Amino acid sequence: MAEHAWILAAVPAIAFLALAALGRRLPRQGDFLAVLAAASGFGLFFAVLASFLGRGEGAWPVLNAIEWTAIGDFRLNMGIAVDQITIVMLAVVTTVAFMVNVFSVGYMKGEPRYWWYFAVLQLFVASMLLLVLADNLLLLYVAWELVGLSSFLLIGHYWERRSAVEAAKKAFITTRVGDVGLLIGIILLWKATGTFNILDIIHAVEAGEVGGTGLFVSVMFIFLGAMGKSAQLPFHVWLPDAMEGPTPVSALIHAATMVVAGVYLVARLLPVFEAAGDALLVVTAVGLITALFSGVVAFAQTDIKKVLAYSTVSQLGFMFVALGAGVVSAGMFHLFTHAFFKALLFLGAGSVILGAHHRQEVGQLGGLWRRMPVTAAAFLVGSLALAGLFPLAGFWSKDEILHAVEGHRGALVFALISLASIMTAFYTTRLFILTFLGKPRDAEAGHARETGASMTGPLVFLAVLSVFAGFVVYGGVGEALGFPGGFGEFVYLHHPETFHIDWGLAGVSTALFVIGVFGAGWLYRGGRLDRAAALTAWQPKLYEMTRRKFYFDDLYQFLIDRVVLGFSYVVSWFDRFAVNDTGVDGSATLTGYAGFLLKHLQTGRVPNYALAIAAGVAALILVALAAGG
Amino acid sequence: MAETDAQGYVLLTALALPLLAAAALLAMPGDRPMAARRLSAVTGAVLLGLSIYVFLAYRAGGEVLQMQLRWPWIEHVGFLGENGIALRLGVDGISALLTLLTGVVAFAGTLVAWKLEYRARDFFILFWVLIAGVYGTFFSLDLFFFFFFYELAVVPLYLLIGIWGSTRKEYGAMKLTLMLVGGSVGIWIGIFAVVHEAGLGTFDLPALWEAGRSGALSPDFQKAIFPFFAVGCGVLAGLWPLHTWSPDGHMSAPTSVSMVHAGVLMKLGAFGIIRLGIQILPEGAAFWMPALLVLGTIGALYGAIAALTQRDFKLISGYSSVSHMGYVLIGLATLNEIGVSGAALQMFSHGVMTALVFLLIGALYDQAHTRDLRDFGGVARVMPLWVVAYVVAGLANVGLPGLSGFTAEFHIFVGTFRTYPIFGGLAILAAAIAAAYMLRMFATVFFGPLNPRWRELRDLSPIEIAAAVLLIASMLVMGLWWAPFTDRLAQTVLSLPGVTG
Repeated sequence: MAEHAWILAAVPAIAFLALAALGRRLPRQGDFLAVLAAASGFGLFFAVLASFLGRGEGAWPVLNAIEWTAIGDFRLNMGIAVDQITIVMLAVVTTVAFMVNVFSVGYMKGEPRYWWYFAVLQLFVASMLLLVLADNLLLLYVAWELVGLSSFLLIGHYWERRSAVEAAKKAFITTRVGDVGLLIGIILLWKATGTFNILDIIHAVEAGEVGGTGLFVSVMFIFLGAMGKSAQLPFHVWLPDAMEGPTPVSALIHAATMVVAGVYLVARLLPVFEAAGDALLVVTAVGLITALFSGVVAFAQTDIKKVLAYSTVSQLGFMFVALGAGVVSAGMFHLFTHAFFKALLFLGAGSVILGAHHRQEVGQLGGLWRRMPVTAAAFLVGSLALAGLFPLAGFWSKDEILHAVEGHRGALVFALISLASIMTAFYTTRLFILTFLGKPRDAEAGHARETGASMTGPLVFLAVLSVFAGFVVYGGVGEALGFPGGFGEFVYLHHPETFHIDWGLAGVSTALFVIGVFGAGWLYRGGRLDRAAALTAWQPKLYEMTRRKFYFDDLYQFLIDRVVLGFSYVVSWFDRFAVNDTGVDGSATLTGYAGFLLKHLQTGRVPNYALAIAAGVAALILVALAAGG
Repeated sequence: MAETDAQGYVLLTALALPLLAAAALLAMPGDRPMAARRLSAVTGAVLLGLSIYVFLAYRAGGEVLQMQLRWPWIEHVGFLGENGIALRLGVDGISALLTLLTGVVAFAGTLVAWKLEYRARDFFILFWVLIAGVYGTFFSLDLFFFFFFYELAVVPLYLLIGIWGSTRKEYGAMKLTLMLVGGSVGIWIGIFAVVHEAGLGTFDLPALWEAGRSGALSPDFQKAIFPFFAVGCGVLAGLWPLHTWSPDGHMSAPTSVSMVHAGVLMKLGAFGIIRLGIQILPEGAAFWMPALLVLGTIGALYGAIAALTQRDFKLISGYSSVSHMGYVLIGLATLNEIGVSGAALQMFSHGVMTALVFLLIGALYDQAHTRDLRDFGGVARVMPLWVVAYVVAGLANVGLPGLSGFTAEFHIFVGTFRTYPIFGGLAILAAAIAAAYMLRMFATVFFGPLNPRWRELRDLSPIEIAAAVLLIASMLVMGLWWAPFTDRLAQTVLSLPGVTG
């Protein structure tokens, strides 16, 4: 079955075609087709997993490679490959996609273009699965662009709303800038190694056939693509705006799957990054700066989804820090656990928004604990997992990251990533308190009602995963599930690593959790805002700066309006006036004027012509004499 | 000498059919537009069938020139010797692909011209003469006929734009014609110089190619004459800075003329650079290609940047055409097989994509009578199919994988990186700018709240849908499974002198 893993992508692709063509005419606008496709994807994943594990310790199987085209020695082979990293990604994508499809049935009920929403959702799932199955960088790039397209379409689902259109446009163009880098990087790697096949590239790099500055430059270009897709500084601006899309989409695409494509890409190419000089140092630096920056910005956000969006950006930074330390298992493990609790938090936010009649500013929420108990409990589990409470999923993966950083990147990075961990716990607690505790601050929130089973069901399922998914770090748990051991013995770069809990590190980790939670708990005790208001009043400028996201969006807007568009106006002006009016029309005018001057020679009087003839003959004689003499 | 191949008569039919249609229309009374439309639609459909046949019947991996036919015309007269001037037809991989393009775009164009009311018969007469010229140029293996058909394709444009056009049509038509004819003068000079210098007493193209390759045309001569061909044909290909006829010409031209013009005619220019420049004057090409690369890159970036702030749909497409034809020139200038194949793919891709864009602009303009982006908003509510088709065309323009634009641009990028990495990077950057101008237009026109002024807009008519589906299908086929295209190109591209692996 593992060699036919392409079926995983084919199922949603077929569902997309069916829904796009017929969705509007089907009963219930075909939503059952979408759920069916997602459920079968989830089921088929286990078939693939069983078949993969049945192979035992195997190399990366290259499957179904078919020659796509050949011009001379330029050959393109397309194929899929399944290895341990792919398996982790498949688990995340199929599980979250299944939950989100089910959730959407309730959430999107009665919304415009219901069928189209489900169709594009399937297109996304198909492209995302293709992305993680691709055995070569070209196919990966194809899928990379297709997930970007689906993301664009889904962010802009409510296209009557100007803000949604702008957000969709921003997301597409921002990631596209990163994609320029990615494509350049892919072609540069092809130039150096002569292949697009990922495994061949890795072999070529490990054999030392390529290296030096050239490799570093190619890898940096590829990393640009990863930064764009995974919303790392300075490309992060699109992700918070992408929250304009329907909330289940935020859970699937902008939290659990598409945004981790960059992390996946770096993990996939980690041997290449390792060989490329200081490339991994850059990865760590970018991840660290992003983690800290968005941790701070998340403090001051008041929209429940934007807080979660900045939290996602920050957690993606954590993953890059782990990869930058060269520990693929830590990065992928955090990707794995984060997918579940962040999808849970987003779906929980969706449930809140629906239950509280489309209120999503925390200033208008509060006190939902009593009115929406299931959502609140699930959200609490998600929050605690994100904040890193022992022994929930987030604790284990954060612990692995701290461990990796401690071992490979030294004290400073460790201190900074610990600081970012405190921030995580802090803003998560703040969000939970403001949303669920205290008293409702708005009449609509006061009348909130718990949502239906199609929504609470997925919440409960994901909450269970958020509690237990972290245990796969233990060898015993992994073996019981049929894996060769714990997560670190399944996904690794050079040597499998058996997990042993380091109580000292666990203590530090728990201390960070406690500081963050109690800090926020003190500030917003019982859902009251007076201390927070006092803090804001104490440093209004700092607060304003944080609230305005350190002016990144304003800076970009300025650059686009004044520099990019300004340049375009200059070029257009030049084209109109210099090239066209002066160059083209000018030469036409000149020709016309020359004709105007010459026409005076055409007098129509015979004596004038006779004189001209005589002068011509005389001139010719003179010339002949001069030449002959 | 190549004998006449039975399949050569297919080419002859495709060349004669539009001329016969024009003659038949001429004989018809002018007050029966429906008969003219029907005749034209049938002609277009048959030509599409013939074009598909030519493309499919062209055997990948066989002889480079296939489906040949030779009818001697003038021999042993004056300086003309054996095979002086002959109607010699044949296709290679590149012209087979462009034949397919012509069939697709011409048929779509006839369908779109269906709703034309004013002097419909006369319109179709000129239209078919133009199409005959296009086929003739792609098929001709004789320098005289190549030029004859090239001119035959260009001249009707003046009347088509001048009579049936819109915005500033006299200016647009005059400028376009003067610039193109100016280019033709250069080509004409080059042709005589080449025939004279080769001293073979023949206009036979393969013989002249051999002369260029073997050194019968000295390197200095080749370097001196190449610019005449490159600039002369380059005008029609939208070579920067001789591109300004393109935005204005498109703005003035009626819909189906814009389609054929941007879709096919601009390709004649690039095709001329291959046929005359690279094939007759390989040394000259090798010498001048870096200059063409620079101009192509400037065109690609310049067109994309200028498109960012345009307010007229047609100007956006006009500048975007300059940008995309810049890619064609970049691909040709790499002189390696991937890049040149990419250039040929891009000719096809840009052809179908632009034809679709102009079709759609026309469908809107006919109802709205304005093309200013800022007048619109939320059009997706009233014209959903129109928007879907436009989004597909726009995404092909942006180079989204799965559509033809990606296939073509990818080959061009790879080819360029092989020889000139910096220019490859700049070309990819231009593709990112394309995303910006396309999405800006999508956002302004298609989405957002519906401007109530446009509540009455009608979506595409069934005939327009048929034409759009044909064009979109072409984009999808090339975007998803491009081996049938590259297989047919590979042999031909490698046979071009000076093209490296």
